[in-house]
Order: sequence, then C-alpha cells, then structure tokens
Amino acid sequence: MAFFQNCDGVGRREVLKAGAFGATGLTMASYSQLAAASVVNPNAKGKAAIFVNLNGGPSHMDTFDLKPDAPAEYRGEFNPIQTCLPGVMISEHLPKIAGCMDKFTLLRGVSHSVAAHELGTKYVNTGNRPLPSLEFPGYGAVITKERPGIPELPPYVAIPNSAQRPGYLGVKYAPMNTTSTPQIGQPYRVRGITMSGGLTIDDIERRRGLLSQLDRTFSDVEKDSQLLDGMDEFGQQAHTVITSTKAREAFDIGKESPEFSKLFGGSQLGASCLLALRLVESGVRFVTVTNGGWDTHRDNWTTLKTRQLPALDEALSGLFTGLAARGLLESTVVYVTGEFGRTPKINQERVGRDHYPRNMFMILGGGGIKGGQVLGESDETASMPKHDGFSPDDVAASFYHTMGINHTFEYHTSTGRPVMIVRDGKLIPQLFV
Amino acid sequence: MISRILRVSLAGFTGLVMMAAAQAQQSPVVAASAASRFAGADAAEVPDFQKHIVPLLGKLGCNGRACHGSFQGRGGFRLSLFGYDFANDHGELYGRVDTETAGDSLILQKALMQIPHEGGQRLKPGSWEHHLVLRWVQAGAPARVENPATLTRLEVTPSEILFTAEGQQQPLQAIAVWSDGSREDVTTLCRFQTNDDQIADISKEGLVSAGSPGDTHVVAFYDSAVVPIPVIRPVTPQYGENYPQVAATTKIDELVVQKLRKIGVVQSDLCNDAEFLRRVSLDVTGTLPTTAEVREFLADTTADKRRRKIDELLERPGYVAWWTTKLCDFTGNSDDKLNNVTPVQAEASKQWYAWIEKRVRENVSYDKIVEGIVLAISRNEGESYEDYCANVSKLYHKDGPGAAGYADRQGLAHFWARQNFQTSEDRVIGFAYTFLGTRIQCAQCHKHPFDQWTQDDFQQFEGFFRGTVGRQNSRPDAKADYEKMVAGFEGTAGLKGNDLRRILAEQVQKGATIPLAEVYTVKAQPPRRNNRTPRRNNSPIPATAKLLAGPVIDLSQHEDIRQPLMDWLRSPENPLFAKAFVNRVWASYFNVGIVQPADDLNLANPPVNAPLLDYLARGFIENGFDMKWLHREILNSRTYQLSWIPNSTNRLDERNFSRAVPRRLPAEVAWDIMVQATLNTSKNTEFVSSVDKRALSIPGAGLRQRNRNPADYALTVFGRSIRESNCDCDRTEEPSLLQTIFVRNDAQVLSLLDSGDGWLREVAEKHQLNFQPRSTPDGGNAQQKAQAKARFETQLQRLRERLDTAQKNGAERQVVALKAQLKKLREQARTQGVEISQDVEPEPVAATITVPANLNTEEIIADAYLRSLSRLPTTDEMQTSKTFIAESKDPVEGIRAVLWALMNTREFMVNH
Repeated sequence: MAFFQNCDGVGRREVLKAGAFGATGLTMASYSQLAAASVVNPNAKGKAAIFVNLNGGPSHMDTFDLKPDAPAEYRGEFNPIQTCLPGVMISEHLPKIAGCMDKFTLLRGVSHSVAAHELGTKYVNTGNRPLPSLEFPGYGAVITKERPGIPELPPYVAIPNSAQRPGYLGVKYAPMNTTSTPQIGQPYRVRGITMSGGLTIDDIERRRGLLSQLDRTFSDVEKDSQLLDGMDEFGQQAHTVITSTKAREAFDIGKESPEFSKLFGGSQLGASCLLALRLVESGVRFVTVTNGGWDTHRDNWTTLKTRQLPALDEALSGLFTGLAARGLLESTVVYVTGEFGRTPKINQERVGRDHYPRNMFMILGGGGIKGGQVLGESDETASMPKHDGFSPDDVAASFYHTMGINHTFEYHTSTGRPVMIVRDGKLIPQLFV
Repeated sequence: MISRILRVSLAGFTGLVMMAAAQAQQSPVVAASAASRFAGADAAEVPDFQKHIVPLLGKLGCNGRACHGSFQGRGGFRLSLFGYDFANDHGELYGRVDTETAGDSLILQKALMQIPHEGGQRLKPGSWEHHLVLRWVQAGAPARVENPATLTRLEVTPSEILFTAEGQQQPLQAIAVWSDGSREDVTTLCRFQTNDDQIADISKEGLVSAGSPGDTHVVAFYDSAVVPIPVIRPVTPQYGENYPQVAATTKIDELVVQKLRKIGVVQSDLCNDAEFLRRVSLDVTGTLPTTAEVREFLADTTADKRRRKIDELLERPGYVAWWTTKLCDFTGNSDDKLNNVTPVQAEASKQWYAWIEKRVRENVSYDKIVEGIVLAISRNEGESYEDYCANVSKLYHKDGPGAAGYADRQGLAHFWARQNFQTSEDRVIGFAYTFLGTRIQCAQCHKHPFDQWTQDDFQQFEGFFRGTVGRQNSRPDAKADYEKMVAGFEGTAGLKGNDLRRILAEQVQKGATIPLAEVYTVKAQPPRRNNRTPRRNNSPIPATAKLLAGPVIDLSQHEDIRQPLMDWLRSPENPLFAKAFVNRVWASYFNVGIVQPADDLNLANPPVNAPLLDYLARGFIENGFDMKWLHREILNSRTYQLSWIPNSTNRLDERNFSRAVPRRLPAEVAWDIMVQATLNTSKNTEFVSSVDKRALSIPGAGLRQRNRNPADYALTVFGRSIRESNCDCDRTEEPSLLQTIFVRNDAQVLSLLDSGDGWLREVAEKHQLNFQPRSTPDGGNAQQKAQAKARFETQLQRLRERLDTAQKNGAERQVVALKAQLKKLREQARTQGVEISQDVEPEPVAATITVPANLNTEEIIADAYLRSLSRLPTTDEMQTSKTFIAESKDPVEGIRAVLWALMNTREFMVNH
C-alpha cells in the first residue's frame, strides 16, 4: 500500500520491487527463499507464553524509563529507585518489580508511529503495522496454530478477553475468553467447562457421536467458510475440555495455597496473572491477560500511584517469582506491553500525559529470554530512542523466535496472498540466553 | 472493506476489454499536467499553494502521520496531517524558504537530500516536482490566494476498469474542476491507493496493474476530493456477453446481477421453502416458526405464499422488538451512559426502548422517528415546567403507567442527556455515527484521510450541537419553580447531587411530583457585523454553522438551531441519511452491507454495488422513509431468497450477494431460540405472538448492568451490543469456543431441556415415559448459584481430602470432627438452595424404566427437527436418530440427546 509510507520514504512493497532489480541483488525468488520452509523449531526454549496487555498505554516515563534530570515540564512527580541490577533505576512505585529485575529483559526505546488505541493495540498484538485490507493474526493465534498444546484444555485462553484477533488465520484460532476476572483466594471456574447435571462420560460420548452424525448439512462447504470451519473446530475443543477434569482444576485459582497466592497481591490483575500461571502449568499454550486503566490523560500521577502501579508491581513480581518458584520460567515467555508510551511533555492543563508511540517500554522474560538486563535507551527527555531503538516488529520477531516459531514463514490468506508472520521484524540477538 | 473473490482458472482466456469509460465532458481548456508544465526549469507560471504545493506535499508523503504530519512534527517542522490547514502549512513552510536565493531554502535542501534528511530524498534534482517547488519559492512562496476557488469535482477516467489477465495495465487521468470554471490535469498531483493490492495495484503515477481475479477499487485523492474507481477482473469466463441467461425478478435482482455479470459470477438457485421460512422468520422476527407453521407453509401450494409470509411476519411483535433493539443499538441506549438521567435507576433505558418501540409498532416513518430524537427536548409542546414534572413524575409512581408511558412523549430527550453525548465534539461524532453511518472522528483533529471532511467542516458542523443542554435541573427560566419544588420536600435544604436525588427518588415512587432534569435548547444570537468568523469557545452558540458538504446556516433565524440540521437530514439531496439506514438494513439480511463495515460510509470505502445502494436509498426516500417498504423490497427479492448452496462460480463470493452466506445468529436471537426450541407446544407457540421475557425485548445494555436478566451471561458470551463506542461492532457475531461450551454443557442450557414447561416433559407425558431429569433445575440466577456452588465444592473437596488423609492415618477423632464439618457444610448449602455433589455419585439412570412397545419415535424425531431446524429430517437423519433412541436405556434420554444434538448443530446456530 503505497499510501502508508514510512519516513524512510518507501513502503514495503516498493522495497521488494526495488530489491528485484536493485543494488541488493536479491531477486524475488531468492527473497522468498529467505522465508524458510519450516515454521516450528521444537527445541526452542519457550513452550508457553503469557501476554500481559496494559491497555490504554502506560506512561513509560513514570514506570520504567524515568528521567529525573529532564526539565520540569517533562519529568513528572515520581522518583527513581535502585533495582537489583546495578545502575538500573525504575519508578519508586514499583519496588517489588525492582527486586526481580534479574528475571527479565527491560526494553527501552521501543518506537513506532501509531498513536490511536485500536491501531496501536493491533500493532503490538500482532507485530505488524495494521493495514486496512488485511487483518493480521495476534500472537496467540499463530502460536496455538503451530503448537496446539494438549487436547484436554483450550490451547489459548484470554482473561477476561483479548484484543488479539485471529485475523486471516480464521476464527478457529480465537481465544477462549473467561469473560470474568478471578479473585485471589476465591474459587474460580468458567461456566460450562465441567460436566454437570447427572450426565456420565458415557452419556456425553454418546451424545457427541450422535451430534457428529447429525451435524453434516454444511460438510461440503464448511472449509470455505471461516464461520462454519471455526464452529467445527470449537466443537471438537469443547468436547475435550468438558470431558476432562483437567480444565476445571486448571482454572480454579482457589486451589492455590494462601502463601503462594499472596505473592500476586489482591488486585484483579494479580489474580489474572495467577490464573495465567496455573493455566500454563496445566498445559495451556498461550494466555493473554488484559488490564485497563492506563490511558491517563488526566491525573496521571494520582491514578498511577494509587491504583495502577501498586497492582502492577505485585502482579508482575508475583508472576515472575511464581513462575520461577514452580520451575516454569525457563519454558514460559512473559511479554508485557501497552499499545504506546505517553507524551514526555506533561499536559499541564489536565495533569496528564497523552498518547505517544515514539518511545515506550516493553518487558520480555523467561522461556529463553535473558534476565537481568536493560536493552535500548531513550534520549534525555524520553522522547525518542537514543540510538536505533526497537520496533514492535523486532520484539515480535524475537518473541516468536524464542517460542520456536520462524517469524519469516509465509502463510497464505484465504485469497492466496502470501504474508510473512512478521513482515518487517529483525531479531534482537542480545535478548536470547 | 474490500470485496474479494478467489482466483479461478482463466486458462486459455485472454484479451483486454476496457470498459468504455464515462468520458470527461469536453471542455474548451484543460490545463496540461504540472509534470509537463514544470518539466523544464524555466517555467514562468507561479504554482498555486492550494492547487499544487499542498497536494505535492501529500504526494511526497511530507504531511503523513509518520513524518511532518504528526502532532509533534518531525524536526520541529509540523504540517497539518493530510493537508488542508493552509494557513498553518504556509506558515511552517514559509519559515523554511529563502526567497532571495531559492536554492538555499531548507525545504529544498532537505527534500533533495543536499543536507541530511531523516525522511530521505523526496525530490529528484531536475525533476518537475523540484522545478515546481523551486518556482514557487522564487516567486516569493505565495500563500493560498484570497477568496480561493473551491474544488467542484475531480473527474477521474476511466470511471471503471475491467481487466482480463494478470499484468494488464491502465493509466488513470484526473482532471480537477474548480468553482471558477478552470480545469487542470492533476493526475501527477493525486495520491493513489488501492483497496486490495492483490487484485489491482496502482503506481504513484496512477498506473493500475491487474493482479488476481476479483473486484476492488483504486482511489484517487486530490485536495478534498476522494474518488474511487472500480477495478474488476472476472473470476470465470462467463462474463459480459458470455453470461448465461438468469432470472432477475425485482429491481434489486437486476442490479445485483448487473454487477455479477461483470465479474463472471452466477447466483445460486432459490432456497427451498423450509429454508426460506426459517431464514425470514429469524431475520425479521428473531423467532423460530412453530412446527405447525412449518408444516402449513410446506403444504401451501399458492404461488405468492412467500410474499404473504413476509407481510405476516412484519406485523408480528418479534419484528417490532428486533428493530427496536437495532435502533437502540444505533442510537446508543446504554444503561452505563444513562446514570442519573432519570430519578429511578434503569428507567431511562426502558423509556428509551418504549419510545422507539411504539413508533416501530406503528410503522412511523424513519425520518419522523429521527425527528423526534434530533429535535428532542424534555417538555412537550406548550408544557410548563410544572406540568412537565407532573406528567413525567407519574411514570415513576408505583401504580403509574411506567416506562411505557414515556412512549407518548413527543421527543426522546434521553438521547441528548446521556453522558457520552455532552460535549459538542462527542455529539458530532455520535450523531454522524447514528444517522449518517459515518466515522467523522478523524476530522476532529485533521483532514479525514479517507473522506472529504476537513477539520474546518467538523468545527463548523459542531455549531448545530452547541445549543442543546442536558442538565440535572430545569431550564434557567424555570429555576424558581425548580427551587420551589425542591424546597417543598422535607430535608432537602442545602442538598445537591446524589443526596438530593436519593430523596427525590423516594418521593416520586411514593407518588409525589418532583422537580425533574430537563433537556432544552438555547437560541443563537444574530451575528455581529464586525465579527468575520465565529470563534470557537467564544460563546457557547455560534451565530452560524455549516452543514456537511452543504451551505452555511444563520442559526439566529431558528427557534431550535437543530431544525436546519433535521431539514437537511431528511432532504432528498442528503447524501448519507437514507443510505446509512438502508445499508444497515441490508447488512442485517446479508451478513455484510453494500458498504462494509455497514457504519463506515466514506468515499474511499465505496459500495460494492453503487447502483443498488442508490436505488434502495432513493426508493426509501420516495416512499416516505417507510421502513416496511424497505424490508419488503429486500425480502421479496430473489437475491434474498437464494440458497446457501454454492455453484462453481460463487463458492468464494461472500460480498456480491450471489448466494446466501451462513451467518451466526445475533446474541438475543441465539438465546431466545434455545429457549423456544425446548419449550412445550403451547409455550413455544406463544413466542410467535408475544415477546414478553425475551432477550429480544431487553431495553438497555452496557457492561456494568449485568446479571439482572437470566439471559445476561448468554448474551455476553454471544456478543450482544454494549452500545458504548459509536460502532456497530459493539455487537459481535463471531463464533467462539466459549459459545460452543455454553450450548453443549452449561447448566442453564441443560436445564432448559428438562424444564417443567419443556417439550421433553410433554413428550414423556404423552407417551407415558418415565421422566428422569439430567440437569439441576435453574432458578434463573444460574451464574450466582454456580459461583456459590463452586465455593462450596472447593471447601468440600478440601474437607474430603483431609478426611481421606485422616482415615488413612487412622486419626479417628479427626475423622469424626471432619465428618461433622462436612455435614454442616452440606446443610449450609441446602439452606442457600445450592445443590452440591454427594460423596457417592448417584446412579445416573434409575433401573425401573420401561419402554412402551408401541413407542413411535419417528413422530417425535420429526417434531424435534421441526422445532429446532424448522425442517423435516432426511431419511438418513431419521434413521440415525431412531437407532440412537432405540439403543438408549432410557428413551427420554435418547430423545433429550436428539434435541440436544440438534441445538448443537451449526445449522441451528447459523441463519442460512
């Protein structure tokens, strides 16, 4: 789409065309050979992933990228504190995270240019800059397509729902939404996932047999319809989920000991992270946790220090230390991001910060990602990456890589259009163990 | 947004056919393109800021979002996003030119990459673009001329492109026609975009190249004009003259086929009668036909039975409820946004629903309904504040007429009182969404990238929305009455806000007349002579406002400044009002709109079949905005009545109405028919004549107000609209795993099968079969109970585990204590009405079942099919079901399983 040009002056399609004749000497044929034939590397360290979406765009300058020496119109109210990594400082309202920075990589200077919530969210949930003509699949859809997980559990769970859409892969790769958020210390279940009402396994198996014989009206056309194909897939998944006791166990965070639960704090975000951990431990491949309230145009500092940051501090530190304690951190990637950062320059009128994609932070840890480091750096006012910075595409490529998925693999959409999983991403080599 | 048809082999078929383009009208003088005029460095002409410089900046990408168009502006150089803020842009550029030695201008040096430029080289030295900018600077970099001509239209030729093979090319030509009569070839100054680069790609110069078969649009942008050009490459050789003879019974069919003929797609056959009846009943009334109705319809041999059925359905309460619900979706009837709008919680959404319901029931014309909304104030004509308070307070009295009484009020003032409709910006956006099917929000801050609207259009339009006030108390001139009434109640002295509201709410329910909040309008002041342009935020109501793509209106001439807005909406010339509604109605019958998304009418997102949309919109207007005319027109078309079974040409077409596309039922309908299919004959039949207690007739919506209605969980899972964000996508119709789990196994659904009013009990009684329920009865608050149950079960489980260990360890005293605890817990559960599992699972089926020898299951199976899938079973299905029941130990469980399975088929959950 020539319409959306980058600052470097050329749209992606033009790069490809130029490459065919130009200085790089790449022909289209050899270019497509770069897109490797095999998509999954089964030996990759990342086996499962938890994606925490901080909806609304958390302020990077008041969380993980403070600039205490910046002019007053930028700086903000919070002070930095020392973390367990020498020389690395983060916000004073994140003391527990400061204590477990050895478990993940903090990326600073992640940068893009999409400043609207919906489009920005799509970007960071797919690793592809949104296009009007094509909906890209979210991470969870790609990962569960390639690495489906165990049949007794939904491969992909969203707490309570997710901005990640299956896009051109089709609705059958959509997550199972819990639609509600658990509470720490309370039993939790998703309605309908347990056998009830005096039915035996035998009854259910018989019913299912009957259903598969009666649900044949659309058999000749179902593969052409995302809807019908998706419903067929959900039917099979539903059956295994219902007949296994594993699902019920996996969702019930009330079964966690009070000592362990305490790590996560009392917030909904904390309870969601605990549930995510339990699900991954049981064999769910991909879990998204969605948490809102970060769109702090007004009263940025009050909102952050009283509501957002205390919950985030406990939830994330609980998640990392909890995963480590259960021996899951080595195989579970945790990916935390909002859709953008917030304006370094303070909006004085509203005592807030507005949308700002040019500079933001992301967190990636576990599952083959090196812990205890900060990559990237922003300039003096946290307005731009100091050096090259990272794009969401780069982080996505690296995330897929550590999950054993080749991000240059090409899928074909229902119209036969070839599309790489991440179209424009470069691996960030320093991320990997 | 894009229509797409998959590749179909075109082997052996070549030859280029170019559509005879609608030629630009011959005009004496068309200025040659800037590319030729500025090919040399010596052109004498001075480029025009609006006509040449700003479009060129757009073409070069300078004012794009990622570059200088961003609000921060790269390198401190900030252009208006996508142009059209001429004063700002000129100022920004003027600071970066050197009119003495033009070549030293920063804008040239940067763009030529003579000095480092993060955006790379935008201008090639010696190119016409370079000459054009240079010449402008040399001439003193003039700003936009005083009293500039406006762009009348952009003529793009050819007006349609038909390709037949990959790689074929067609250049576009674009002529700008200005209000002063001048014409110029601006092809090289246009920005171009393709809506699907797989089907047609377009170069910066406007050269269109054919890709795979299908149809899409390429779009030319220049100044405020956005012109889409259809590009078609047929998917089969059967197109144009080779197109087969096909039936087209109505005007709609003619127009649909006219398009299909171009793309080489042939419509499917007509659907059969059973499919038609189910489809139209669900679509129009959100209700399944009864078994008797299906049998009767199938037996009817008259030729016009489909037409008569359509007429009959349009008179049923289901039609009224469903279209009231849809109108509540579009107008934003959300409990979450109506907090404190009425003294009694949740009454506002009920009143809103009742107000629309009455009008849909009486088939009041669409424009009249909209008038009642757009011009709404709280008082009826001639009503004093006291009368108004007396009349409306009655609606909250215990034995008063209730929310239904609100339907008799003249206006739907709540529309203006809701919380997300308070600022004039919110109002413009919400109004454009609701009545124009248009997303105008982009133009709030900059030129709309896909439409003609500029920020100026938005701000001038805003004037119409500034004079309406939705306050918590009375109109200022009734303030004394208001205060007097407040003072009449004890304990109100000094109270405000919630505290006051609480007291008044108590009083009104007891039968008092209380002072009420009111929505009212304020008149505009006449324009002051020396005030050339109305300044924003200066006074609340500007003296003038401008209609979208319409004239400037002197607001001081109107009692209610919204009147000209309403007149404009319903005028036959309004480009969007009728189309927006027609398109939404179409989308509700065909899965997708003629414009898709159905609420995104913009120039760069053109209709897949423009003549069809025009025809329906014109007809709707000519028929006095009669909604039932529109429904009849669509439902009686052959196109609506096509089969979902594809042929070799249309298997992959979901966008051109060549067959029925299976689509998931809307949330309300999905839940309602699960209930309906399981009810006994008489209750099932009541669904046809009444919408009481149906999901279809729930008035409000929103996220916060859940768990009032037993259907709430199902409606959340199936994606009922939350009516929150000015988007039809607040409603979802996609399937999900949780939906499937719900229908298969949720206690609430399973208990429907065993309900006391259920069909299964009816069958059991009729055939004297033992009835063994297989579910726990559902008291309506299933979710709450499920949670309580989960709590108890967890505690029970822990106790059992401890008991187990204690028993293993032989700790007898502990065993006794734990057993006592277990017992106590069970009692607690029982007193709270929660059924919990026993330590020993009960035998699922009693041993005493006897099967009558003469049980005729065929009749029962046929009934199950008719009540769920609205058709008779095939021979195979009958045999499968019969065998299944015969092999079941308990025949009732066999029958239950058959109905359960039918409700879980995709055929049940989709309309097809």
